[in-house]
Amino acid sequence: MTSQKESTRTAAIIAQQSRRAGGMLLSGGTIVALLLLIVFFFAMRPETFLSFVNVRNILYQVSILAIIAGAQTIVMVVGDFDLSVGATSSLAGAVTAALLIANNPLPIPAAILAGLAAGLLVGLVNGILIAYLNLSAFIATLATMTSVIGLAYLVTGGTTVFGMPPEFNELGQGRFLNIPLPVYIAVVISVIIWALLRFTTIGRRWHAIGGNVEVARLSGVNVRWARLLAFTLAGFVSAIGGILLAARLGSAAAEQGGDNMMFSVAAVFLGMTVLRSGAANLGGTMIGVAIIGVMSNGLNILGVNAYVQQVVTGLIIIAAVTLSSLRTRDR
Amino acid sequence: MATVTVPEGAVTAPALEARGVVKSFEGVHALKGVDLSVLPGEIHALLGENGAGKSTLIKIVTGLYSPDAGELRRNGEVVEFANVRAAHKEGVVALYQELSIVPTTSVAENVLLGEQLPSRAGVVDQRELRRRAQEQLDRLGQRISLRKLAGDLSPVQQTMVAVARALATDARVLILDEPTASLTDTEIREVFQVLRALRDEGVAIIYVSHRLEEVFELCDRLTIMRNGETIVTKDVADTTIDEVISTMVGRSAEGLFPERGTATSEVTISVAGLNGRRVRDVSFQAHAGEVLGIGGLAGSGRSELLRILAGSQRHTSGTITVAGTQLPQTVSVGRMLDAGVALVPEERRSQGVILSASIQDNIALANIGTVSRAGVVSGRGIAAIAKRGMADLQIKARSARQAVGELSGGNQQKVVLAKMLARRPKVLLMDEPTRGIDVGTKAEIYRLIRELAAGGTTIIAVSSELPELIGMSDRILIMHEGAVSGEVSAQDADDELLLSYAYGRSES
Repeated sequence: MTSQKESTRTAAIIAQQSRRAGGMLLSGGTIVALLLLIVFFFAMRPETFLSFVNVRNILYQVSILAIIAGAQTIVMVVGDFDLSVGATSSLAGAVTAALLIANNPLPIPAAILAGLAAGLLVGLVNGILIAYLNLSAFIATLATMTSVIGLAYLVTGGTTVFGMPPEFNELGQGRFLNIPLPVYIAVVISVIIWALLRFTTIGRRWHAIGGNVEVARLSGVNVRWARLLAFTLAGFVSAIGGILLAARLGSAAAEQGGDNMMFSVAAVFLGMTVLRSGAANLGGTMIGVAIIGVMSNGLNILGVNAYVQQVVTGLIIIAAVTLSSLRTRDR
Repeated sequence: MATVTVPEGAVTAPALEARGVVKSFEGVHALKGVDLSVLPGEIHALLGENGAGKSTLIKIVTGLYSPDAGELRRNGEVVEFANVRAAHKEGVVALYQELSIVPTTSVAENVLLGEQLPSRAGVVDQRELRRRAQEQLDRLGQRISLRKLAGDLSPVQQTMVAVARALATDARVLILDEPTASLTDTEIREVFQVLRALRDEGVAIIYVSHRLEEVFELCDRLTIMRNGETIVTKDVADTTIDEVISTMVGRSAEGLFPERGTATSEVTISVAGLNGRRVRDVSFQAHAGEVLGIGGLAGSGRSELLRILAGSQRHTSGTITVAGTQLPQTVSVGRMLDAGVALVPEERRSQGVILSASIQDNIALANIGTVSRAGVVSGRGIAAIAKRGMADLQIKARSARQAVGELSGGNQQKVVLAKMLARRPKVLLMDEPTRGIDVGTKAEIYRLIRELAAGGTTIIAVSSELPELIGMSDRILIMHEGAVSGEVSAQDADDELLLSYAYGRSES
């Protein structure tokens, strides 16, 4: 009897160790996927893919997505999500651009502030609708997204606005130490959001709300106020991304930020698979952004068309989320 | 009484049998070779402290987990349950209190949820549906309107609907996990009657409960688990509650409640004319060093009163005064915490702890404001609070970074306590302080309550269990339909007196 028990115990320990190794592989899966993508594209195009110019290209391409995905991360840490980040960024870019080419153009800093204010206001409206009027985040941000796209069309008059002063465009196109300025801005904003989420009282409260609203409330967290702040900040950060995009393109159109909404949600979801707890986190989000950027750039270099890229991006998200749900089911 | 005795070499094979079942999670052995044998036509209690492995065993016999080693037998034949459906097919069905009904659909649909809904060309045949559902409810002697939404039913009716559903799937082994937790005494009688009838039909029933009085009233045999092992299986008639407790704990259960202390005359919290949802004109005072118990039937407004005091529910009129300062009409949980009133809520898993977060982050939760400077949280401050809380309350865990969801119920409750005690409250409100906690940890919690009181804290604790209410309190308020219907000193209290107040028969 004892020996039988011993052997079953040993079997159990072995089974459990192999499961732990499997778990490690799964939780690191997203990072492994990124590395595999890099290795794959490097093998396919050894002389170009990892060249300085191309890596700089990738960073440049993802910098604005990184900012907007940062905004999305804040909201998703709280357990909500924001469908309006892309539209908000478009509106902010359009407002700034329109004020710069008006008959009586505003100075650049004032125009940028106006764009940021527009984003902040959209975020504030989202926050009021969701935190104080108890609308679901899905419905509220879907509605504001629709209205905000309309506003952006009104601001641009339905055309593409261009002809902003070169000093403004320099923000999106200029370089420092041979690296584009948006890359620096994206890094700075990401670090700020990371620190905000990790080290501040509001960051801890956001995490608590995302973990369990009721527990947070009964622990004395002012849940409504915290959610309002999260959405407002997300609107503001999205606006930064939108204004940079306008500067980079040298033009503003009503729907130019639209793609970034889906990709930002995708990046955060990919990032959530990195942590054991499955919570949204900025480091993970940046890995998600990198996967999306590397794939889009790599497929471009291989000459795969843009529509196929979109299909593949969707598949990658499904794969990552499936892997992480396998992991949670294991318990 | 019992229809089944267990003769040597019984002819009937056990309806369900587990042999040498082993299961471990991440290095922790939840089950270390468990044996369980349940005969057809018996009600078999499965007992043990939290963390003894009962839930894990249930999850294995219902196909939710697969065992690392050992085997399951159904009517003597080896079976393997790949998933819950496979177990259902073999007639093994478990009912969990909260997860058992779909509140937004009708009673009839709930009864036939697990079965194929009767349909014609894909359209649900409503008449047939109701006929079959009625058949099952009749079997239980239940008069419940089939068209009602299940969510509108009383807890006991919901339980009955869940049982009816199990019967509709032709359950031969029925597993009930704390089925009476939210029921009143009369409702419990009703459930027992139904269970006995099912037993007499030959259904094997596994009954998991912490309420030993009920077990002794209802069950034929019992199996006691401790630390992932089955210790003993006995006829209920051959044992006593005391023996069961000491077997569960592995030591004697003497001295569950510590000695009462002496309350001071210093008033810490004073409530006058309080009205709100389910609370009518409540006035009382509580003192430093006092343990004030609050009793009453479920739905009598006990929990609502605590919620108002904790700032999580509004009151429409009346005043709350804490340590001489009257609080404004609208307060929040944060404001009450600042005033020195903290709540340990009733539902630990949904209101007390964030299961996915670490012990440290959970304890920090109510203290974020106190360990930060200029909006920046001090990581060292959080670690210090967590370390102190874990040491003071003897929380058993690998480290402060372990997820709370991995702890036993008792340790989770200690995490909630540590979170609130770090605020050094003057008044600690506790709603069902030991619900779902094993006997050993219960004793620890009672001792802790006394220690806090001795340090000058006022404890106001709601409890549904009369022995607990009497044993832990200095003074007891009983509520009936939102109002205080009686006040007794715990020394003079007995079950009968408290119950008569609880049913609103004042001046008895």
